Amino acid sequence: MSTQPPKTLRNQAHRATDDERSQFDRIYRDHVDLIYRYANRLCGEVEAAKDLVQETFLNAYRGFKDFRGDAQISTWLYTIASRACLRMRRKKKGEPERELSLDEFVPTSEGEFRLQIPVDGLTPEEALQNKELRQALDQAIGKLPRKYRMVLVLRDMEGLSAKEVGTVMGLNERAVKSRLHRARLFVRRELSARGIPEGHSDDAPAAIQTSGGYDR
Amino acid sequence: MTKKPTPRKKAEAQGGSAHKHETGRCLHILQRLSAYIDDELASNVCDEIRRHLGACPNCEVFVESLRHTVALCRHRPIPALSPADRQAMRENILRAARTQTRL
Repeated sequence: MSTQPPKTLRNQAHRATDDERSQFDRIYRDHVDLIYRYANRLCGEVEAAKDLVQETFLNAYRGFKDFRGDAQISTWLYTIASRACLRMRRKKKGEPERELSLDEFVPTSEGEFRLQIPVDGLTPEEALQNKELRQALDQAIGKLPRKYRMVLVLRDMEGLSAKEVGTVMGLNERAVKSRLHRARLFVRRELSARGIPEGHSDDAPAAIQTSGGYDR
Repeated sequence: MTKKPTPRKKAEAQGGSAHKHETGRCLHILQRLSAYIDDELASNVCDEIRRHLGACPNCEVFVESLRHTVALCRHRPIPALSPADRQAMRENILRAARTQTRL
């Protein structure tokens, strides 16, 4: 007896594969830029971000049948990317991440209340023309423990609501807001500890230029 | 478990800090500043914070610096993927999916 499935079943299998492929292509086309931007902000480095994007879409391809239509596709992809990112980190380092406490962000000297960077009288876009400022901001975000960085990136950079961030990270809104506040205070403190002079605007692409990414 | 002295306690132990205006009150305000700038607080709590900020220049400077920090995060641009990268990554994903292997 032949081990091949009957021809009709084979045709159905081909159709299923074609359907999966076109479904994948549609999701990839519509969301790859979004997920790359998220990955780049999380990883701080282009190659690591590309690895994370590929891991995310491969998992999405394999898990599409598990996708329940009750969430937005973008939220589902953010969730897959966040889990993949945490897995990638655990492979590199075993130690638990540090918790941030509010007490550590209370200024203790006069100079710590304000940002030591040129932002006064400038729009954020104008201020970010300063390459040193961009680097200082990227380094501050890169120094955040990852679970805090994820919340800051999703909420303040990707523009998700606290509820959506909670869905992505499996947290309630209260926990999201608590982590977000600590993450913002951390970045604020880093920027207040720097002394960045008024810089000339530059036309260089506003890329994250840290050496080798955040977690290496 | 022994806790390290916090910066606040250290500052108090040193006989005062730059944050002279009712340190405990300032810490209470600091805990709510993200919710304040995100406009998530009830109006009476906002009024209370506004009154404190009007009376405490350090806290007022602090909240402005937090607003600037959030604004910078919101506007930080990321360069886009090139079409060639997009295409190469798609092929890698589909190849890995076909062969059931890891990337």
